[in-house]
Amino acid sequence: MGIKFEQVNFAYQGPDGQKYLALANINLPIHETGEFIALIGETGSGKTTLVQHMNALLVPDTGSVTILGVKVTKEAVRKKQIKLNPIRKKVGLVFQFPEYQLFEETVLKDIIFGPKNFGISDAEATARAHDIIKVVGLDESYLSRSPFNLSGGEKKRVSIAGILAMEPDILILDEPTSGLDPMGRDELLTVFNRIHTTLNKTIILITHDMNTVYRYAKRALVMRSGYLVYDGDPRALFSRNNIDNWNLETPDILSLQQAITAELGLKLPHIAHTEEDLLAMLEAVLS
Amino acid sequence: MIEIRNLSFEYQTGKPVLHDINLSIEKGEWLTILGHNGSGKSTLSKLIVGLLKPKTGSVVVDGLTLSHETVHAIRRKVGIVFQNPDNQFVGVTVRDDIAFGLENLQVPRDDMIERIERFAQKVGMTEFLNKEPHALSGGQKQRVAIAGILAMDTDVIIFDEATAMLDPKGRRMIVDYMRQLNREGVTILTITHDMKEAVLSDRIVILKEGKILLDGEASAVLNNRAMLEQSNLELLLPLRIRHALTERGVRHPGLEALLWASSLNK
Ligand SMILES: Nc1ncnc2c1ncn2[C@@H]1O[C@H](COP(=O)(O)OP(=O)(O)OP(=O)(O)O)[C@@H](O)[C@H]1O
Ligand SMILES: Nc1ncnc2c1ncn2[C@@H]1O[C@H](COP(=O)(O)OP(=O)(O)OP(=O)(O)O)[C@@H](O)[C@H]1O
Ligand SMILES: [Mg+2]
Ligand SMILES: [Mg+2]
Repeated sequence: MGIKFEQVNFAYQGPDGQKYLALANINLPIHETGEFIALIGETGSGKTTLVQHMNALLVPDTGSVTILGVKVTKEAVRKKQIKLNPIRKKVGLVFQFPEYQLFEETVLKDIIFGPKNFGISDAEATARAHDIIKVVGLDESYLSRSPFNLSGGEKKRVSIAGILAMEPDILILDEPTSGLDPMGRDELLTVFNRIHTTLNKTIILITHDMNTVYRYAKRALVMRSGYLVYDGDPRALFSRNNIDNWNLETPDILSLQQAITAELGLKLPHIAHTEEDLLAMLEAVLS
Repeated sequence: MIEIRNLSFEYQTGKPVLHDINLSIEKGEWLTILGHNGSGKSTLSKLIVGLLKPKTGSVVVDGLTLSHETVHAIRRKVGIVFQNPDNQFVGVTVRDDIAFGLENLQVPRDDMIERIERFAQKVGMTEFLNKEPHALSGGQKQRVAIAGILAMDTDVIIFDEATAMLDPKGRRMIVDYMRQLNREGVTILTITHDMKEAVLSDRIVILKEGKILLDGEASAVLNNRAMLEQSNLELLLPLRIRHALTERGVRHPGLEALLWASSLNK
């Protein structure tokens, strides 16, 4: 078993002791390999909090998260019974705000920090950095620059590069495509999907983009006010009529097909899953 | 309202980031700036409010040429929501944070309290007024950053990817409000990667490598595939389908009209 949440509750604590509930009774099993999960839900619903439990950046108040065989509880962490390094090495997490992740003087140092920390040699880590920087759509000249003097989207790309360079077993991405230009978004989603399909790795991706969910995810998790309210097939999710209550929306491809059917009376044989799919059906029906 | 003349800028000598930008933005206009990551959008917005100093050229806002002497007057006219909301926060609580901008404008106390309540409500953050801005989720931070600028009631508002981390409903709410403000006469400049948001504006400027690649009416720019692709942008889904069908020789006037209308979101 990869990652397993059992009856997890978590609240943030304010400076004067108030509690802010962020996770409520979460039970969730995630396989070590082969999953492509989209984690979605309204602003403030607990998505970031949930994924920060997956590599023990946060620890449950009650309940447990078992990460690749290591059972993380508040008690165990307090007694220092848990080695965090092996967990962080295997479960890579790209932060929602790249500013929280970048800290070195140069982009190169930032990218090699993770791999070196987990025992990769300097030469190997540097070689990886030279490859990865191109994978995220930047050229090698960026390696010598300061990660703080970059545009928003460039920072995002560097923060993704740093985690990809670690080659984690499980890859968690907290809104990796917000702030990317449309081509960069598509290219990086293709990269994540390739890691998933060719290496059979589990990917967990937070997004507000329903098109991404519909196109790539095999499983959708929906959060609302700290609760996990849906765990299942993304296509089934979007055929429900209550998604608006969860602040979600219908993917573009579905709403377009609905409009075509409703307004032109064109009968298409099935519900399109991709753009190519919709095109092929239209071509067949119209020619 | 805003006149940008021969504006050039570099962070480091010899590495220009903006080249000879000429742009004039009318009062009451809604302009979107699009362009690839690193094309210079945020830099341009910071030059407009005097957070950066041009290498050459000038910025004139409502008749005032931007300079050391006029920068404060200009910031009373132009509000900006930064790309990273953390860069915006100065207050210990959300309430202080919204108040900060108003204190700078010397808004009377009663009016200030009323505005804080009204704009916190507008962005759905009323129950978080006593919380620390840094201890919020990504989307909540963006909402607070937006509320702080809206409350200042400036003639021009720049939104630099201000809705990028909002959920679909939250984004729609803010975009609807931008539209309402614009109808009331506020000049709006949005920087975004979301083509569905761009289509709602009057006019679109595409930046590429620090130069203006295209400047035109929104609906024309959004149908210009060649230009969009040059700056890492895309056609909207209905227009992609429309272009693809045409390429495949499939004609259906009713469908073409529908695809066009739904891409314009009208
Ligand atoms: N450091 C913190 N201190 C106190 N409360 C926090 C902190 N971080 C988050 N919260 C609260 O916990 C709840 C869940 O936040 P979380 O960041 O997990 O949401 P999210 O689903 O990732 O939202 P978004 O889509 O806006 O990023 C929110 O109500 C938020 O205000
Ligand atoms: N503080 C800085 N010092 C040096 N160079 C910088 C700095 N900030 C940005 N740059 C560079 O200036 C160029 C323009 O950056 P800018 O932030 O204006 O881009 P942008 O169009 O807003 O991009 P994005 O879509 O990623 O937000 C980029 O190549 C970037 O690397
Ligand atoms: Mg989040
Ligand atoms: Mg920017």
